[in-house]
Parts: sequence; C-alpha cells; structure tokens
Amino acid sequence: MTPTDTLSPLVLDGLVVGAMLFAIGLVGILARRNLIVMFLCAELMLQGISVSLVSWSRHHGDWGGHVLVILVLTVAACEAAVALVFVLQAFSRTGRLDAAAWQSLRESNLPRSIDHELPAIDTVPPRFPTLTRAGIEPAADEDRLLEREHV
Amino acid sequence: MIAELFQSISPGTLLATAVTTSAAGLWLLLPRGLGGGAERAARSLGGVLSLVALGCFIATGHRLGSVGEEAVFLIVSLLAVVSAAATIVARSPVYAAIWFAMTLAGVAGVLLVLGGQFLGVATIVVYAGAILVMFLFVLMLAQPAGLAPYDRVSNEPLLSAVAGAVLLGVLSLSIGRLSAPPAACCAMPASKAALLADAPSTDAAEPGVDLLADNHVARLGGELFGRHLLAVEVAGVLLLVALIGSIAIVSRGATADIEPAAARRAVP
Repeated sequence: MTPTDTLSPLVLDGLVVGAMLFAIGLVGILARRNLIVMFLCAELMLQGISVSLVSWSRHHGDWGGHVLVILVLTVAACEAAVALVFVLQAFSRTGRLDAAAWQSLRESNLPRSIDHELPAIDTVPPRFPTLTRAGIEPAADEDRLLEREHV
Repeated sequence: MIAELFQSISPGTLLATAVTTSAAGLWLLLPRGLGGGAERAARSLGGVLSLVALGCFIATGHRLGSVGEEAVFLIVSLLAVVSAAATIVARSPVYAAIWFAMTLAGVAGVLLVLGGQFLGVATIVVYAGAILVMFLFVLMLAQPAGLAPYDRVSNEPLLSAVAGAVLLGVLSLSIGRLSAPPAACCAMPASKAALLADAPSTDAAEPGVDLLADNHVARLGGELFGRHLLAVEVAGVLLLVALIGSIAIVSRGATADIEPAAARRAVP
C-alpha cells in the first residue's frame, strides 16, 4: 500500500463514529459528578478508540488494530476492577458517590465548589397496569415494605 | 427534498452547524438541577438540537455504495451514538448503565460491519456480560434510594459541552482531510514515492478484503498467539495483578474502617 491511497467511505464513517463516541465520553467525564458515571464515560471513550482502531485495521488490511482492541478489553476489565474498589472505598468514607466530596484535594488557589439548594423533584410515580381484584386480600408482607420504589 | 437541501449547503457550513448544535444540545441535555417545567423544556430543546446535529453529521457522511450496507451501518452507529448521549445525560446512574449497554450493542454492530467479527462478540460478552454487571453491582451497593443531589447537577455543563464539540469538530475536520488526496505541498518527493511503490508489498490482497476471508477467528488467534504472544502474556499478568491488588485494597480498607464505624455506631 502506498501512503497516497485514499480511505474507503466505510473506514471514514467508522472513524467519525469513533470520534463522536470519544467526544461524548469526554463531555460526560468532564460534566458528571457521580464517580460511577464518570467511569462509564471513560469506558465510552475506550469504545470510541476501539472503533477507530478497527477502522484503521480494515484500511491497512492488518491484524494490529484487532489485537490492540483485545488488549484494550483486558485493560478495561482490570481498570474497572481496581477503580470500582476505589469507588467503594470512597463511598464507605464519605457516604456519597460524589466527586465533589473529595474537593479538599483541589489546588489551593481554586475556589470551593458550593452546592446550591435544588428544587424538589416532581417525578410522577410510575403507573403500572393492574388486574382487577379477586379473592381474599393477602396479609401485607413486612419485607416488601422495605423495598425501594425506584432507583 | 431534505437531501437536496443538505446538498445545497457547503460541507464546511454543515460541519460548523453540526458542532454548534451538538454543543448547545448537549449543554441543554445535561442535568442542571433546574427542576420542574424549566428542566423539561431545556431537555426537549436540547433533544431537538442534538437531532439536528445528528442530521448534519449524517449529511456530511459518505455514501457506502450499497443501500443495505449503508442502512445497517446507519442503524448501528445511530444506536451507538444516541445511547452514548443518553448515557451521559441520564440523571439516574442505573439508567446510565443500561444506556451504556445499548451503546455496547451499537458498537458491537459497528465492529461487525467493519469486519471485526470476533471483537463484536467479545465486546458484548466481556463488556455487557462482565464489566457492566460489575458496575451495576457497585451501584446497587452504593446508590442511595432516589436521585442524589449530585446526580441532578453537572460540573460546568457549558464548558464541557463546548470542549467536547470542539474536539469533535477538529477530529471530523482532520478525518475529512484524510478522504481528500494529499495536496501538492505535502506530497512526498517522486523518488521516495517510487521507492515505496517498488517495495514488495507485504499484503498482496486488497486492503480490508484480507480480514474478511474465511477462518477469521482462527487467523486472529494465530496472529494473537504468534506475533503478539508477549502482549498476551503481559495482559495475563496484568489481570492477575489487578485481581490481587483489588483484593488487597478491599481487605486493608475493611480492617481500617472497623474502628471508625464502631465509634460512629456507639455515639448516637
């Protein structure tokens, strides 16, 4: 292959999709405050990289990109294992999954981020279809009362 | 009619519109703790703007030649990108994880279309089957009931959205340059080009065709355990180290936390 060869349309579109996934992951990791969502966004960026690598692999007719993506999968698994342990430790110390709970680690000349009072959530509880009542009403189950209505 | 409208716009304008609308759309879509109708209105407007941005990106895309291939690629890539956007704007982290699973499905489809048959399946199995389930386990362990305040606000949503859109614009521009033949200023000297053309080509087959031939997985395995054997060994050691490391961190943290936790329980 000579370097002047142009890329096929499929390779170009694959590269654009990879770039979009990477940019969306970047926005998420910058903007979101939940530690777990931040790690999900890091994984999103890794997915974008994988798509780009496979596109280049197709362009060059070479297995190198595929092998790199397999290594990315391995490293992502390791990263997730270690990172989730850190997240659990952070949660057990602060009781929150909040990145701003660790803002005492910021540089000394940066202002402190202060949370303002948020308006109440106005989510409507979900309505599920019900069957018509029939038979004897069972006694209330104590355990069921402890379950969360939503996550 | 819409196609004619898009064709009448120059690619540069189209890309600029796509970048601007995607920045504005993501900014409006990110959770900002407005609450009530204001948040809902902002999110609807952000959704519309993001759809406009997606339309512009599709219009700047390339024709793949065959309608079937084009349709399949469009569907899986739209699934991946839209679910990725939903992952970062979902307020509940559980929904974010579920949307991420949808992104993985889309990415697996894109990898399949690009010729990575093994990787498409491995992405689903390893990511959606193992890593995502681990994320969900931790969420169930650590997530308080209801929406936490830090899930309802974002850090600097405007700056983040603009940063992401600028990166996307720069990447799209440079990818667009790749499709054009190199300009005269940047072309290599004729002697060097002739040298490269004369050099024996290592891959005799056409680019891309080679990967899609028979015995795809067998040849990928041969390459992986032949030329890249050292990398496989290093990856294995890395997995072992991560396993031992995470167990060590958990067990040390558990013993260190016993006393403060006991003290907290003792003092009401």
